[in-house]
Amino acid sequence: MAVDVAASSALPVAVQPARRRALAPASLAGYAFVAPAILLMLVILVAPVLIAAALSFTDYSLGNPGFDWVGTDNYEKMFSRSTYTKMLTASATYVLVVVPASIGLGLGAALLINSLKRFGDFYKTIYFLPVMAALLAMAIVWEFSLHPTVGIVNQTLESGCGTFLEQISDWYAAGCARNFPLWFGDRDYAIWTICFIGIWQGFGFNMVLYLAGLTGVPRELYQAAAIDGADSAWDRFRLVTWPMLGPTTIFVLTITTIRSFQVFDTVEAITGGGPSKTTYVMMFAIYEKAIQHNLIGIGAAITVVFLAFVLFLTFLQRWLVERRVHYT
Amino acid sequence: MTGHASPFSEALKHAVLIIGALIVILPFYVMVSYSLKAPHEIETNTGGFFGAQEQMVDEYCVKLGNAREDCLETPAIFNYTQAFKKAPLLRYLANGVIVTASIFLIQALVALPCAYALAKLKFWGRDMVFGMVLVCLLIPVHAIALPLYIMLAKLGLTNTYASLVVPWTISVFGIFLMRQFFKTVPDDLIDAARMDGMNEFSIVWKVMLPTAIPALLAFAIFSVVAHWNDYFWPRVVITGDRDLYTPPLGLREFRGGSDGSDWGAMMATAMIIVTPLIVAFLMAQKRFIEGITLTGMK
Repeated sequence: MAVDVAASSALPVAVQPARRRALAPASLAGYAFVAPAILLMLVILVAPVLIAAALSFTDYSLGNPGFDWVGTDNYEKMFSRSTYTKMLTASATYVLVVVPASIGLGLGAALLINSLKRFGDFYKTIYFLPVMAALLAMAIVWEFSLHPTVGIVNQTLESGCGTFLEQISDWYAAGCARNFPLWFGDRDYAIWTICFIGIWQGFGFNMVLYLAGLTGVPRELYQAAAIDGADSAWDRFRLVTWPMLGPTTIFVLTITTIRSFQVFDTVEAITGGGPSKTTYVMMFAIYEKAIQHNLIGIGAAITVVFLAFVLFLTFLQRWLVERRVHYT
Repeated sequence: MTGHASPFSEALKHAVLIIGALIVILPFYVMVSYSLKAPHEIETNTGGFFGAQEQMVDEYCVKLGNAREDCLETPAIFNYTQAFKKAPLLRYLANGVIVTASIFLIQALVALPCAYALAKLKFWGRDMVFGMVLVCLLIPVHAIALPLYIMLAKLGLTNTYASLVVPWTISVFGIFLMRQFFKTVPDDLIDAARMDGMNEFSIVWKVMLPTAIPALLAFAIFSVVAHWNDYFWPRVVITGDRDLYTPPLGLREFRGGSDGSDWGAMMATAMIIVTPLIVAFLMAQKRFIEGITLTGMK
């Protein structure tokens, strides 16, 4: 079935008599084999990047016959208009919260699981579940769990009212006296709640990468460290584990940051960027401005800034890997 | 690690991990439980995990003029049948299967010969092509979404299966991965096949493909999980045509049109969308973790 399609593209090669060890058929086949991939790379990956870059200097809209070059207007808007500065704030907040938290929790979980005598795999399985589940579906479940009145979280919190919890926490007492937070509807909570879902979803992925990294730490190093007087768990971690996990950390850091810049599902499904644009992250802004409102120019400008962030991070990662992390 | 782990510290570690596990599990608990319960049990948070499963009256059915006795339903069955009745969920699931399967098949069809050529064939410009693959690895898909959408719109291809599949037909990551794998296949194997009179084309599919099954399987898991769960791209290119909705889009539509009374059916829909991959994951954990973390090999 599928083979037939490829057969036609490679036919000129197949027709040639199989001259033994002759270079020509092999190199012809080489061109035939890479041609579809090259074509697709050019059309689907390279051209769009150039198109996005070009469009970011225009006021293009789909359906308009032409467009005008507007210079750097779109970029200037991005750094001056409050909508877009709020967008940059929301994305930066999300990245700066989710990245350290999901890496810290991933590393912590990996270290704990790795040091367990039994049942480590059990926790590993559970922590990895959110990575597998469709984020959109889980976002809707979280939205419901955090519903201000019927949600299980607030109902559970309410059932704790009148107990010692009210005495030890002012926040709790205030919640009981009036209401517990609206979570997604409250501008003081929305972005943090979106961050929480991001952490919930992503830390299991980091945990698995750290677990793989930990299997690569030679046991002799711990013995050697012990001989040198590293007795406490903290010393072993500081002197052996953490430096040996350097390459893993750099990788996890890059991939988590890039993913965090791309957050979209939870925002689109739950908050729609609100309240007061506190959760108006970049991917959602591109979607709303360019695709829903047909303001392609500004959407392209945001895309270019996003791409610049990602490339900067990737090159930083490569540079760090080559420079520093070879077992300090 | 080294020695003196007391039972106390072991217990403490379990305690921390269990608290973490409870938080991770919470939405799954909510999803399963509420997909089984009656609306009034959900609203009042009663009925425990499974709900009382008492017969309840379907008000909508009564509104249609049926007698109350004919509209009695068991909540769990009601929620799951509603999931299929309120929206063409079967159609959405079929779309999901069609799209993810086509994407993976075309990715493999493009990537395998290319990877073989890059790993084993000598031709002028090979290093340049490989360099191009490495450069393209840097481009995040979200950064090309907007221009791709414009290109597809100009071609009149939005709201088609093609728009869901075409942007993913090239996986530079797949090419890179398979090339690294083919590098480890001994040249003797290929030479022997050539001696037998096999042409390059049959070598790819009859000699290289069988050796590459483990790597290809890992890539398949990576690709299928990503595209079954993808919401961003279908949201962008499928704007009107409900017949082309993928499962996440269908659930989003359900949520958007909901007046808040059919949470049970919505949770049932979420269950149906999430379950296939979760079950597959639980059955083949090692492979899945390998496949999903493939990106770690870059």
